[in-house]
Amino acid sequence: MSKIFVYAEVVEEGIAEPSLELIGRARELADKHGFSVSAMLVGFGVRKLADELIYRGASEVHVVDNEVLSKYNLLFYTRAIVEVVENEKPDIFLFPATTTGRELAPRVAARLGTGITADCTAIEIGDYVDPITGKKYEKLLYQIRPTFGGTIMAAIVTPNHRPQMATVRPGVYSVPPRDTSRSGRIKEWTIDFSEEDVGCLEVLEVKRERRKVDLRSAKIIVSGGRGARPEGFKLIRELAELLGGEVGASRAAVDAGWISYDHQVGLTGQTVKPDIYIAVGISGAIQHVVGMKDSKIIIAINKDPEAPIFRIADYGLVGDLFVIIPKLIERLKVAKS
Amino acid sequence: MVTVNSKQNPSSERLNIVVLVKPVPDPKEPPKFKPDGTLDRLSMKLVMNPYDKYAVEAALQLREALGGIVIGVSMAPPHAIDALREALAMGVDEFILLSDPRLAGSDTLATSYALSMVVKKLWSKLGKVDLVLCGVESSDSNTAHIGPEVAEWLGLPSVSYVDKILEVSGGYVKVKKLIEGGYMVIRVKMPAVLTIAGTSYTPRIPTLRDVITARRKQITTLNADDVSIDTSKVGLLGSPTRVIKMWAAEIKRRGKIFTDTDIDRLIDNFLAELRKDGVKLK
Ligand SMILES: Cc1cc2nc3c(=O)[nH]c(=O)nc-3n(C[C@H](O)[C@H](O)[C@H](O)COP(=O)(O)OP(=O)(O)OC[C@H]3O[C@@H](n4cnc5c(N)ncnc54)[C@H](O)[C@@H]3O)c2cc1C
Repeated sequence: MSKIFVYAEVVEEGIAEPSLELIGRARELADKHGFSVSAMLVGFGVRKLADELIYRGASEVHVVDNEVLSKYNLLFYTRAIVEVVENEKPDIFLFPATTTGRELAPRVAARLGTGITADCTAIEIGDYVDPITGKKYEKLLYQIRPTFGGTIMAAIVTPNHRPQMATVRPGVYSVPPRDTSRSGRIKEWTIDFSEEDVGCLEVLEVKRERRKVDLRSAKIIVSGGRGARPEGFKLIRELAELLGGEVGASRAAVDAGWISYDHQVGLTGQTVKPDIYIAVGISGAIQHVVGMKDSKIIIAINKDPEAPIFRIADYGLVGDLFVIIPKLIERLKVAKS
Repeated sequence: MVTVNSKQNPSSERLNIVVLVKPVPDPKEPPKFKPDGTLDRLSMKLVMNPYDKYAVEAALQLREALGGIVIGVSMAPPHAIDALREALAMGVDEFILLSDPRLAGSDTLATSYALSMVVKKLWSKLGKVDLVLCGVESSDSNTAHIGPEVAEWLGLPSVSYVDKILEVSGGYVKVKKLIEGGYMVIRVKMPAVLTIAGTSYTPRIPTLRDVITARRKQITTLNADDVSIDTSKVGLLGSPTRVIKMWAAEIKRRGKIFTDTDIDRLIDNFLAELRKDGVKLK
């Protein structure tokens, strides 16, 4: 049976959620089109996480557990994955489009000499007829993604090379339920790293905040960016409280130290879909937009009429947030009383 | 700024830096389509990929701190030359434009192969290349593949999503990399490939004089044969991936933008519109 491989990214808390989402999606596609689902687990002391992948839908887990992999190392991880792929010959290989997935997957693809599509927002299985040769292909991976800053969608296939590879955007599929009655096969690999140059690439320090606030269930989110500054965040908090919502932020605001990482929305933060998302002093960089573009209603407040955030907004208020928000708060308070 | 350890990094160790630059359709303008629904790339004005400006800035700061040379490399059709002048005006020393109709339609694997062949050529000409920098991704295709794939073709280590180059010393480069919820500090042996995120560098804006000087700088145009590219590995047919369909993304947004210098009126209009549309803020 043709195999779908899913890369199981490991974070402190266990298997990263975007990888679980992909296991879930792979399982759906596999059941419908007759594939098997295998997870690829790489690291040190990670063997114990294999069961979790089976409970979520994998029927097989390939484990490379080695001390040299205790810290993330792009070169060693690439080496380990490529060796397993060369032996197992999966038909499809999916990675989460996290910062790790998006640097590891293209390296693996280039080493294997196969194609890869980045940051897909949907994956399907379908047929394809090559318009040049007339050759018919069955059950290819349709890799669907936005391009041109989200203005165009493209569907892409990899007809002649294997595996067909893609990174898939976190949050587009949901984490599958955990079913402890599921069973599967765990295969451990021994890979010889003794020839590798250990000093070539070395992670010296990892600073990673764990998330305590979950914005995903919020109905209203008021988010602040670099334009808000610390004073603006006071206004943003006040507005959020008045509306019974939560406070969000851009990475620029988090990096500036005005608010904790818990509140960050975007590629390296959370993906949110509230009823109303109010972006205040946020320019609308693609890495922010991927985390909030599926909000039901988007309201943007920005003094720059050209800011890209206005292109995806339902309502845009052009002007100084330090003037607009106090007025808005005033008006909403009047309306309330 | 970059820390320089002068003891371990004698002035003889000047850096040869290659910056990969992609000319892209101006992100400020909406894409144009041909009647058959495919993109009309030729009618779109090309500018330098905004993300590549950060890579150019990082390269220039390194050159200023350590000495050396910054060479731009681009694979694009000939009419992209104006976009490359932007990089030269910022301070890039010279440029190589790889341009060949046989490269048209290349996907990221094929493009990275072609670019790596140019880097190899430069390598043998200069004796060494220390760093290959590029923007984290391009504004038109946003794949972030080119950096790691070029590194793979060259057999070099790479780091994607570099926020800042912290230190260059003793043949190593230390970088801060963006990750979910924070950072990683990574030390890499040079030569290495780094993709630069736009978070810590502010690209310099060329003066009129810079723009004029840039006109005298050299842009060398090479074709696939000049850099020994195996043409079966490039172009539409040499690319493993195929785009089977493209369509305009449905942006189901209302797009009601309020501009009014009278702030009370602005808020009035906005709230009235919300009421009309049946949107409740609370
Ligand atoms: C790998 C990677 C991952 C990333 N992950 C994320 C992520 O998860 N989330 C994220 O948000 N970003 C992320 N980024 C960063 C992203 O590219 C942008 O740099 C960031 O989103 C910019 O934040 P901003 O919009 O707050 O700041 P800016 O882009 O600086 O925008 C500030 C805006 O405020 C407006 N403004 C200023 N003053 C006022 C005022 N008085 N009134 C009204 N408006 C005002 C300005 O007009 C401007 O539009 C990532 C980048 C990379 C490379």
